[in-house]
Amino acid sequence: MPQRLSIAESREVRMAWLFAAPALLAIALVAAFPVLWTFWESLHRHDLRLPWLGRPFIGLSNYREALADTRAWSAIAHTLFFTATTVSAELVLGLALALGLNRPLRVQGALRAAALLPWAIPTVVAALIWRFMFESPDGSSWFADPLAAWVPIILADVWKMMPFVALLLLAGLQNIDNSMYEAAALDGAGPVRQFAFITLPLLRPAIAAAVVFRSLDAFRVFDVIYVMTGGGPGTATEPISLYAFTALFRELRFGFGSALAMMVFFVSFLLALAWIRLLATQESVT
Amino acid sequence: MSRAQFGLCKRAGCVALVLAGGIASGCGGASDGRPVLTFSGSAVGREAEILERQFDRFEIAHPPWRVELRSTPDSADERRQLYVQWLNARAERPDVLQLDVIWTAEFAAAGWIRTLDDFAPTVVDFFQGSIEADRWRGSLYALPWFVDVGMLYWRTDLMPEAPATFQALMQRADDVMQEQGLPFGFVWQGARYEGVVTVFLEHLGGFGGQILDETGQVAVDSEEAVRALTYMRDAIWIHNVVPPAALTWQEEQSRFAFQNGQAVFMRNWPYAHALMQDSRDSRVANTFDVSLMPAVTGGSPTAALGGSHLAINAHSAHADAAFELIAFLTAADQMLERAQVAGQFPSRRSLYDTPELTEALGLSARAARQIIERARPRPVTPIYSELSDILQIRLHRALSQQQEPREALVEAASAMRSALTRAGLDGGTRR
Repeated sequence: MPQRLSIAESREVRMAWLFAAPALLAIALVAAFPVLWTFWESLHRHDLRLPWLGRPFIGLSNYREALADTRAWSAIAHTLFFTATTVSAELVLGLALALGLNRPLRVQGALRAAALLPWAIPTVVAALIWRFMFESPDGSSWFADPLAAWVPIILADVWKMMPFVALLLLAGLQNIDNSMYEAAALDGAGPVRQFAFITLPLLRPAIAAAVVFRSLDAFRVFDVIYVMTGGGPGTATEPISLYAFTALFRELRFGFGSALAMMVFFVSFLLALAWIRLLATQESVT
Repeated sequence: MSRAQFGLCKRAGCVALVLAGGIASGCGGASDGRPVLTFSGSAVGREAEILERQFDRFEIAHPPWRVELRSTPDSADERRQLYVQWLNARAERPDVLQLDVIWTAEFAAAGWIRTLDDFAPTVVDFFQGSIEADRWRGSLYALPWFVDVGMLYWRTDLMPEAPATFQALMQRADDVMQEQGLPFGFVWQGARYEGVVTVFLEHLGGFGGQILDETGQVAVDSEEAVRALTYMRDAIWIHNVVPPAALTWQEEQSRFAFQNGQAVFMRNWPYAHALMQDSRDSRVANTFDVSLMPAVTGGSPTAALGGSHLAINAHSAHADAAFELIAFLTAADQMLERAQVAGQFPSRRSLYDTPELTEALGLSARAARQIIERARPRPVTPIYSELSDILQIRLHRALSQQQEPREALVEAASAMRSALTRAGLDGGTRR
């Protein structure tokens, strides 16, 4: 490689930057600016209701308050619990559905469309439907119990998002060369061994993609829970996004609410990095 | 859009004109040359109908103004969020805002609404508790439009008179459930929202407690408060008088249960009275009455004071006309009409001496006035929503048996105290 770029090449580089500039600008405006703004806000005591306190810079005080706040910690715990249960259930059921849909059937198209229906329903509507289904006329209530209240929430989310996982896995299944199964069958491997030694390993990238998408999504859960329980009873089902929303838009504590929002951002960012790492090592193995 | 503009549209550049016209009328520039006042508030069902009627009369009496209704979400929480967005952005419109009683101090302290002191309205006729909620740091910021009070609804076909004590209420509810096979004894609003605070406030007063004491100090961890909350919890889980589902109910769910004849007692606001008298929807149309909530010895029957107030946007360009509109809407005639059509209680005391009001409300105006005079305001503070949030969570935890009432209230009191300190309000909050 030459030490210095020729004039033509450096012109090309400049042109490349020029062409990329609008996209970079868009990313900066759409992604970076709000995040940085929120971060800046989180370093201030900013309370819309109390303008006489001004908007003093208070460093990391909001973060210290959040870290000492048991409500914030239990909100994070609820969020992780929700993420773990829904994503694993969606994965298992989605895989089963994908395997079912992967057979050559005459009604294949219709079946696939039908399976996707829950996913196409807006989350708020789906959550309302499930809430009504779990309201009983005799006056007892799933939503009055801190543990039982999770059941309708998790069911609603799994019902709604499982088809999405199935679709991702179905695409992965269709990438697997059929000749592998034929060879395995010739060698005397039954369906269980075929699944364990061909399907699962080759499906790993698709599974990983599904887990990344879903866990990031689930970690930011808001709408299902907002509609079904509002975080209750008490705060027994409150996820961290809902707590941040409450601090921001009900209590109008913009500084503290921004700190909570930054924590959501930070954890999902870490999750994303971890998953990307995992994916990368997997690809180098395969 | 006027004819002249439309004619121009045939030529090039019409798009720009149409856009400009759209923007102008969008921000209230008069399409017919008349200046526009924007009013924002609840316009559910009959409320919209009566507002339009009253605006028409205002326009006739106050040319050249035209009043435009900007409707807002039905849910109070969402309406408040929308207002905050508008007012924090210093929007000039809406000019007149319908505020919930608990928002006035918050909006006044934030500088979002304008003081009414320079208009010097006469306020002696308004109920004391209502007008007190409209003052912040000695200045008047809003006028009471209508009053809401928590009332005990009871079935006249199941008992000769309303129970006077909480013990009697529980006993009666239990007896009637056994004898008549009614599924619910007592229904109220137990969802985790403002409603549960008002229901608690009424139990609290009945047991002799307060949220803030006379000196403005937090008092929700008193013995009386523990007893009140324990009573509420045990009514659900030990006596089976209140259904657990009430922990997810707001006003309408309790009204449905009561008007379907499923409940012996209900705690609700006056709006339910007018709706349940309609025998097309209601099975209890002529077999219910309202009274004060009960109390124990040492406590006094208490109603939570709610209601709507009218205030002027601090950045309104038409403050004088906006005040004219508020004065018009809060005049006796308009209040009486509102009582007739929407069943809402007027906030002027003098109206309760008139036979017209009894007729308009379909219930004794004197009884209504007695309840209103017992009504207790919630704390008047700019951080009310935060205090309420703190309380809602702990009340809901105790009611759903996640925490003992005492533990929940001690925790709530300490969180409320530190919220007041953080806001620099620990000395200056009135009840």
